[in-house]
Amino acid sequence: MRKSLAVQRGILGALLLIGLWEGIARGFALPAYVLPAMSDVLLGVWAKRAMLAEAASYTLAEAFLGYALGALVGIGLAVALTLLPRARGFVVTAVTAVNSVPVVAYSPLILLWFGIGIASKVVMVALAVSFTLFLSTLAGLDRVDRRSIDLMRSFGAGRLALLWRLRLPTALPLILAGLRVSTVRSIIVAIVTEMLGAYGGLGWVIYQAVLQIDFVQVWSAIVVASAASLLFFGLVGLAERRLLFWKAT
Amino acid sequence: MSAAPALAASTPAAGPRAGLFARRVAGRVAALLAVALAWEGLVLLLGIRPFYLPRLSSVLAAIAASPGAYAAGFLRTLAETLIGFVAGGAFGVAVAVAFLRLRALREMVFPLFVVSQTIPVIAFGALVVLWFGNTLIAKAVIAFYLTFFPVTVNALIGLESVDPRQIALMRSFGASPRQILLRLQLPSALPQTFVALRLAASLSLVGAIVGEWFGDTTGLGVLLLQAMYNENVVAIWAALLVSALLGTGFYSAVALLERRLVFWGAEQ
Repeated sequence: MRKSLAVQRGILGALLLIGLWEGIARGFALPAYVLPAMSDVLLGVWAKRAMLAEAASYTLAEAFLGYALGALVGIGLAVALTLLPRARGFVVTAVTAVNSVPVVAYSPLILLWFGIGIASKVVMVALAVSFTLFLSTLAGLDRVDRRSIDLMRSFGAGRLALLWRLRLPTALPLILAGLRVSTVRSIIVAIVTEMLGAYGGLGWVIYQAVLQIDFVQVWSAIVVASAASLLFFGLVGLAERRLLFWKAT
Repeated sequence: MSAAPALAASTPAAGPRAGLFARRVAGRVAALLAVALAWEGLVLLLGIRPFYLPRLSSVLAAIAASPGAYAAGFLRTLAETLIGFVAGGAFGVAVAVAFLRLRALREMVFPLFVVSQTIPVIAFGALVVLWFGNTLIAKAVIAFYLTFFPVTVNALIGLESVDPRQIALMRSFGASPRQILLRLQLPSALPQTFVALRLAASLSLVGAIVGEWFGDTTGLGVLLLQAMYNENVVAIWAALLVSALLGTGFYSAVALLERRLVFWGAEQ
């Protein structure tokens, strides 16, 4: 009951925004570079659908690849550190030092190193995602109750058994939260990197449209990028609820 | 020592605490030096080409060669970051309070906020630069846009986690809603809010740097971009180093403020 009311209000809010947007843009006859009407933007999406779909699939491919790579590296490094506690101080210091620069600031460097093809975007996304997952996995693995470890040890569990049966399940909620947050970020990082130089993708489309002062196209690309982000976010959120069946939200 | 026995007696924790703080700072400095030495040493030892990683000393020399440009960029980006951060933090908390009071507003607007965060920052940045021109304010607005949402989310979580019995107690003593907000709800939400503010400190710097990519003449983002166009890797690393300084400094300042204000929240 409560939930359906919330959904209704959410839809009402979206409709009000669309109405307000359309009304302001049409009512004040605002030029497209200030604010194009919502209907014009949606028509723009439809008119350029082939081009936008191609750009979106280019960006999504970069984001997916980078996301998978970054998740593997981030989670793997954190897990490796629990098996090799001695290396922890050094690795955490090094990661903190690298992480003290905002990730997007690395993109000029990564572009020089990897060229303006797809590789530089995959690396940038992987960099951003691996930081998030390294930190959340490490925090999750540390959350284990000392007494549970002692109990399992007293039954003769080794390091790997502790990791697989106790630490990873305990860390799972935080790892999955990190994975969920990283979805939107991976697409945004891919788009930001594309803006500095690329052969295709939504960021490239947006930047070209800005240069040509074609703001209907800017907004069309924004709509497509948002839809792609929400889709990715929704898919990972769904997987999270499946995996965390014991945790009722 | 004997001149202030009362002081010493009243703050027994001050001594060890200050010592702990000093030791922690010393530890940080030592770690920093170790990273610097490892950087310089590894580059020399492994013969890494300057195209990938120049020696730290040559990066520092590049900064020393034109300190004015880096200082100006630092200050400009700091100003953009700071304005966006403060505005985003204040707006975020205000929106959280409004959402707490008006459930209908929250249910109508909150989903829109979530969607707004999926808009890639550069797309938004393109519009903002067009609306506000290539000004300091445009960059601050981009920083603001990245900042307010996490603050809203966490402040709202904090505000909602207040024990209803405490509110009932204050009400029974005749406290007005305003007093309840200022004396109970906002202080209770502070630890949770600061978690978001620390995240926002990094995000607002991202906003400022990316905002500068739309064309400007000063700023760390400008230095990064110019270095990329000149394929000058040393200059990129120099700009990255200064950005790291700004990012870490700002983050530490927010964390310090947190420790001062949330003195009771020892969990972190």
